[in-house]
Amino acid sequence: MRNARNNSDRLGWAKIDWKTILVYVALVFIGWLNIYAAVYNEASAGGFALGSRYGMQLIWIGISAVVALVILLIDDIYYHLAAYPSYVFMLLVLLATLVVGKEVNGAKSWLSFGPVAIQPAEFMKVATALALARYMSEYNFSLQRPKHLVGVGLLLLVPIGVILAQNDMGSALVYCSFLIVLYREGLNNWVYYALFLVVGLFVGSFVMSPVPLLVLLVLFFVVSQLFSNRNPRESAVWTAWVGFLSLLIYGVTELAGWDVGYYTSLLVSALIMLVPALVYAYRAKISTIYLYGGMFVCSLLFLGAVDYVFNEVLQLHQQKRILDLFGLESDLRGWGYNVNQSKIAIGSGGMWGKGFLEGTQTKYDFIPEQSTDFIFCTVGEEWGFVGSVVVLALFATLIVRLMKMGERQQEPFRRVYCYGVAGVFLFHVIINIGMTIGLMPVIGIPLPMFSYGGSSLLAFTILFFIAVRLDSQNSSIGTTYKKY
Amino acid sequence: MRLFVVVLFVVLGLRLFHIQIIDRSYRRAAENNVLRYEVLNPPRGEIYDRNGEFLAQSVASYDLMLVPRNLPKEGFDTVALARIAGVSVEQLKKSIQQAKNYSNSRASVVVKQMTTEAKLLFDEAGFEGFYTMFRTQRSYPRHIAGNLLGYIGQVNDNIIQKNPYYSRGDYIGFSGIESAYEDILRGEKGERISVVDVRGAIKGPYQEGMYDSPAVAGTPITTTIDAPLQQFAEELMEGKVGSIIAIEPSTGEILVMVSSPTYNPDELMGRDRGNNYMKMLENPRRPLFNRAVMSSYPPGSTFKLVNGLIGLQEGVLKASYRYPCHNGYSVGTGAKGVKVKCHDHISPLNLQQAVANSCNAYFCYVFRDIMDNPKYGGAMKGGYDNWANYVRSFGFGGKLGSDFAAEMGGFVPDKEFYDNYYPRWNSLTVISMAIGQGELGCSPLQMANLAAIIANRGYYYIPHVVKHIEGRDSLEQRFYERHYAMIDEKHYEPVIDGMWGTVHREIGTAGVAYVKGLDICGKTGTAQNPHGKDHSTFLAFAPKDNPQIAISVYVENGGFGSSVAAPIASLLIEQYINGKTEREWLVDYIKQMKIAYPNYEKRQK
Repeated sequence: MRNARNNSDRLGWAKIDWKTILVYVALVFIGWLNIYAAVYNEASAGGFALGSRYGMQLIWIGISAVVALVILLIDDIYYHLAAYPSYVFMLLVLLATLVVGKEVNGAKSWLSFGPVAIQPAEFMKVATALALARYMSEYNFSLQRPKHLVGVGLLLLVPIGVILAQNDMGSALVYCSFLIVLYREGLNNWVYYALFLVVGLFVGSFVMSPVPLLVLLVLFFVVSQLFSNRNPRESAVWTAWVGFLSLLIYGVTELAGWDVGYYTSLLVSALIMLVPALVYAYRAKISTIYLYGGMFVCSLLFLGAVDYVFNEVLQLHQQKRILDLFGLESDLRGWGYNVNQSKIAIGSGGMWGKGFLEGTQTKYDFIPEQSTDFIFCTVGEEWGFVGSVVVLALFATLIVRLMKMGERQQEPFRRVYCYGVAGVFLFHVIINIGMTIGLMPVIGIPLPMFSYGGSSLLAFTILFFIAVRLDSQNSSIGTTYKKY
Repeated sequence: MRLFVVVLFVVLGLRLFHIQIIDRSYRRAAENNVLRYEVLNPPRGEIYDRNGEFLAQSVASYDLMLVPRNLPKEGFDTVALARIAGVSVEQLKKSIQQAKNYSNSRASVVVKQMTTEAKLLFDEAGFEGFYTMFRTQRSYPRHIAGNLLGYIGQVNDNIIQKNPYYSRGDYIGFSGIESAYEDILRGEKGERISVVDVRGAIKGPYQEGMYDSPAVAGTPITTTIDAPLQQFAEELMEGKVGSIIAIEPSTGEILVMVSSPTYNPDELMGRDRGNNYMKMLENPRRPLFNRAVMSSYPPGSTFKLVNGLIGLQEGVLKASYRYPCHNGYSVGTGAKGVKVKCHDHISPLNLQQAVANSCNAYFCYVFRDIMDNPKYGGAMKGGYDNWANYVRSFGFGGKLGSDFAAEMGGFVPDKEFYDNYYPRWNSLTVISMAIGQGELGCSPLQMANLAAIIANRGYYYIPHVVKHIEGRDSLEQRFYERHYAMIDEKHYEPVIDGMWGTVHREIGTAGVAYVKGLDICGKTGTAQNPHGKDHSTFLAFAPKDNPQIAISVYVENGGFGSSVAAPIASLLIEQYINGKTEREWLVDYIKQMKIAYPNYEKRQK
């Protein structure tokens, strides 16, 4: 610390956001306690074993602390310079992993160095966040320009592709979190509208029967269109026509004895009624109707594609996880087992929890992977609703503070990076905790600072402290990086 | 944007609030924990005889299980539990300690095979940490057919490793039918998921039993065994060492399979099983050894039937051929000479008479003519191989493929076997096989099968012991296929005539086997062996036309074929066809017969 004070002017240690660091450290500490509880059982009680998981995690916390200190000592200009090289380097490491990596749980995503194994995909997130920040802070960059949009897409899709090739779907999905950055940087809202539509259709195709889904889809577009164009009379007339036409087709075919069904009748009449809608759009010069019409057709194609992908492309365990999430199929000995046991553990915590080292589900090893992906069970069971909410609040605080940090940056590079970090944290926390309480499908990604694992802890530490570092030098430089 | 983040966290918080505070079901499934996955053991399939009578019945029993970590900290009343479970306190404490040593959190069997009454008492009293698990035990109404049925016992670690279906404490068939049809008899385990509190008491099914699967009961098996006949056969064999097999020739179904000494299958059930098993292992007469399918005996004179048939088929013998016999068959004199002795009888005899009278010399002539047939250029060239092929076509020298996993194939030497012993050899070298002696080894099953082939005039079905498996239309296809010996049908008649003569003519060797109206055809055998007195054997079928039963009786050290084996076979045939026997004196005679087995007793230390 003495050292720090000496350099405080140039490195801006005085402006370091200590409060956010405090939140971070608190989470690391609570996380470690829970790993201890998850590994603890009566048989091996007493005595502290350095070789056990909590011992190993303590060593990684020590390493992370040193790395954090080093990061705070490096001038932030180097992060800007290192953005592209580190991206390329990590990409090469990822590719190397594909060849010489070690396979764990079906995913070839680990590199072994003697007794230590690291997961390069974790560190790729740091490199991607830096590279994205660098690219999006280039002079003249605009998300409205197709060229730049393609560039951003490539930066994200290349690592996703390699990680998918490692068969590590969870780590690949994490890259979705960068959509938050893009939103902040002004990516067209239509993208999010489409995204919402895609997710909605995907979920809908599993949990709803075809006819209500199609009705909902038609109404959704009518209402969307209504919001854009404020034409209640035309919308109502059009909807009425679709309804009338579909019933007519249905009735006639039923009487004729053809087995057409209402779904097809509605589909056909909606498609027929697209023609007058397009004529109306042309006459009234309302261009958004073309867009909604196109999206309607695309949605229908998408529904077909979902069926195809689910049945033909996804692997059995992935199918089961999805079905399990929607409550359509539950196999308590298979994939549903983890989630079910996890829900029982958390649910049984009640208001105040069972107390540290007192969780019966935790102690008796009912939950596989408890010290890694399902570490939140321990929090829920032993610390109860109160403890869980405290942890949630700490995570929310951390993420919101990271976003605020981004907002106060004067340069796009720092802002984009901070948002990138916030997005990665947000994605991990929401997906992981959501999974343990049955809100999300089982995707094997760690809970930041909580899940056992050196790679993950170290990667999150680097991610976080670079953000702190960039923030602390924000106003002190006040110039662009262009001069370097 | 930040609002969006906050909303996401609030959603998580609300969900937590829901499952932790509002929804009590998780708390109930857990208030103090935990789901118990309980294995439901199916009752084992029962085994019937051919007429639907129980051979092996399933009875419920309960293993007392313990998860040591669930034991109450303050201790419990070991005396009461020991009394209920029917074991001594020391034994109970020892078992509990063993369970703790094995695993603190996994269930171990503490007391095996409690009765239903004990289980009810246990349920009433309730002991923390303990529970009972349903198991099937066997009971045997007639206490017969030990080796045939086989026994069940707990799996060992070796089996568990090889077959993941089994876990500690499970039962598996170890021999006989129990082993051969294990997959059918055992059924499928089920699973019940219960919510239990931390004390191990069941609070109810988890989610209304939605994830439970019921146990599927084992499939009953109907065997081909005739239980009353089997029991009668076992009674007749008591005190004798040997084997009886009876087959229905038209189907290959095994009616009787006795390996003597046998044991009461009940002795390998229940708590005394270990002690009884050790006693049986130490018994010098080896009651656990299924002689009927595993032993290899010299067939003796019964084998003359095979040589006669081969001679006829090869054309070197005609039924009318007569050969002289002057107390045997001799070639040369002194050290190089060969002499096969024979008993006193009129001479010369034709084939029918030679079979009935069991003339050794006759079959030496026949055997040498087969071996030295110029067609093959002598025994060493091809004569022997030709003969051995015929013999194998009768099912000798290899497993028949019955449904006994432990079946052994006996021994028919091939040409190389002799080539290794002798630089030059000829038909005289192997002359003892003319009368079923020498290197030949046959299982009683193969001998009974020979009787079936002759009864069928030329073919056999693989002998098998299972008649019907519930829910299946048929057995394996191989049990319905005819296997032909390499002999034309017409050649059987003179041989069968001879066999009829054995029982019915003055010249015959087994007049004792005669039963009015049954037309029993038989062949005696008196097999020399290195273990003492000759083995007494008899091979028969009846009636002569449309035979219903083919039988082989083999009594070790019983002397002449006619002295023990023939009366036993005759009684069993009579019992089977007539449903009763009228010769009480013969039954008593056989039952009271004492045979000395110095050879077995010697083995005992």
